[in-house]
Amino acid sequence: MGFVFLGRLHYRTLLWCGIFVLVISALSCTRSTSPSTKTSSNSREITDDAGRLIALPQRVDRVVSLAPNLTEIVFAVGGGESLVGDTTYCDFPAAAQSIEKVGDTLHPSLERIIALRPQVVLVSTASQLEVFTQQLQSHNIAVFVTDPHDLEGVFRSITEVGEIIGKAEQAGILVAKLRERAAAVDSAVKGSPRIRLFYQLSAEPLYTAGRDAFVTDLIKRAGGESVTADVPGAWPKYSAESALAARPDAVILPTGGSMGEGNSNVAEALSKSPAAQHGRVYKINDDHLVRPGPRAVDGLEEMAKALHPEAFK
Amino acid sequence: MTVTVSDTSTAIRLRENRVTLQKTVTACLGLICALGVVVVIAALLGSEKLPVGDTLCSLVSFGTRQCGLTNDQFDILFQIRLPRIFLAAAVGGSLATAGASYQALLRNPLAEPYLLGVSNGAAVGTMLALLFFGKMEWSRPLMAFVGALIATFAVYRLARGKVGASPERLILAGVIVTTFLSSVIVFVTTLMDATRIRSFTFWLLGDLSGATKALLPLAIAISIGGALVLTFNARSLNLLMLGERDAFDLGVEVSRVRTVVFVVASLLVGSSVAASGSVGYVGLVVPHLARLSLGSDNRISIPAAALTGALFVIVADTVARTIIAPRELPVGAITALIGAPLFIYLLKRA
Repeated sequence: MGFVFLGRLHYRTLLWCGIFVLVISALSCTRSTSPSTKTSSNSREITDDAGRLIALPQRVDRVVSLAPNLTEIVFAVGGGESLVGDTTYCDFPAAAQSIEKVGDTLHPSLERIIALRPQVVLVSTASQLEVFTQQLQSHNIAVFVTDPHDLEGVFRSITEVGEIIGKAEQAGILVAKLRERAAAVDSAVKGSPRIRLFYQLSAEPLYTAGRDAFVTDLIKRAGGESVTADVPGAWPKYSAESALAARPDAVILPTGGSMGEGNSNVAEALSKSPAAQHGRVYKINDDHLVRPGPRAVDGLEEMAKALHPEAFK
Repeated sequence: MTVTVSDTSTAIRLRENRVTLQKTVTACLGLICALGVVVVIAALLGSEKLPVGDTLCSLVSFGTRQCGLTNDQFDILFQIRLPRIFLAAAVGGSLATAGASYQALLRNPLAEPYLLGVSNGAAVGTMLALLFFGKMEWSRPLMAFVGALIATFAVYRLARGKVGASPERLILAGVIVTTFLSSVIVFVTTLMDATRIRSFTFWLLGDLSGATKALLPLAIAISIGGALVLTFNARSLNLLMLGERDAFDLGVEVSRVRTVVFVVASLLVGSSVAASGSVGYVGLVVPHLARLSLGSDNRISIPAAALTGALFVIVADTVARTIIAPRELPVGAITALIGAPLFIYLLKRA
């Protein structure tokens, strides 16, 4: 008897809980959709890289950036004065360091962001902030997600960020300049044979760049061919024996930037590779290779010059 | 009269000892043969395919002949694959030996390096060594050992109430120390730069790919030496399973045995955590497996657990490095995937 009663009570509690949850979610749905329908006259809608439609005011002058590449883009299109918050990783240009810090890319402070009253928060998916994005949205703060997988994607990010903060013209000029430089690299390395290379993100454990990393596209444009270009994922952990068996003719070491000097030696598995034996191990500032921002084109030029010095004489 | 009684009892004990010795030797020889077979199979498998005949030929010659292998294939086999297999064996053997002796000493079937917080103590030690003495490789196992030892004694102190250490108190103390040290680990990782966090989270799950050659001989020496020392203390551990007071009355130097087990087990856990992070479930499942199949005499179950642990981690790591090749999984994920269902099965059977 007692058991049956308990069971029934349980069932009823569950039912009420269910109804409660439904009502709450219905309420929160109506609340979050109301502003976008109401303010259609002085707001605009744009789609971000995650395919989300977001509503923004016509004039945006309070922006928070949660990734160093996005901070670089904001400054490069001349929107530095609209940046009210960025992260401790945002160290370029120098002016970015004096912007109020909201934490690092992986652990931003929700409270501080809300206190800064941004009209939009710029997020890079590399930082995996899906839950955080939802929290911001529930506080009616628009979140714009970028997710470039190649240099075209970086150009798109620049154009979009320019449009968001009202610097579309400057962004257009910047992208045109960057395109010109990328095209110059293209034509310089056109006749040269592609160099099979290994991109070593870290030696221990061995990480590399996979199919989804934008640097894989940079390598291709620089006249190289990443031996891990078809490996699924952006930054896969890679088998040491496969790296040895690949016998790369060159190794790219992203190092010396904000990642420090930790990655300045080739992994043991690559120590007998043709790359190491012929001294074709190239250290390139990691900030130019891992940040999908304007300086990615610097990385492209540096890589192309390292791989094909003959093409740039 | 009394003389003849003690004579016959001594004779019985001697015969018992001989039977146990025989059983131990048979079990160990069987397991060593199995270990040999598994090492060879594991050496044939990997993200790169090696020709079977040539590989076997080269393995049989202990690397003195290259047979038909190219230079690269030879390097893959002897510079990358085999060191990693030996490290897997050392780590598995160490963790299983530590688990088996904790379970005997503390008379608790759940006593295990990970659940007692010893692995986390070693992990904190390794992280601090990496942060402050990054250049000195030997500082890692040393600090891991110190961390493991501190965690062990902390748990033991916490578990000892006014009425002595009860099994429940012990596990509770272990859980408290484990969670406390986990938050220390989280705190230290947030202090690190983003690029190092990824490799740390991988390492924390148990990863054998970062095997530096400098630590391999140390890990192997400690695993073999530790298993031998604990096997020689197995008779005292058998008596300790009756309870500390009874063991003391039977002539066991309880505090000495306890210190030996704590120090040796901390060495075992420290060296394996420094080399591979926290590989879970090995210290829990393997000793149970050994006891269920060979009986609870520690003179048999400790060496058997050591060898079975080596087998278990070699198999798990072979899966980890081949299943999504050329990418890799952390071996800890595989040991947990195999270990958890295996433990449930053993629990239902026991």
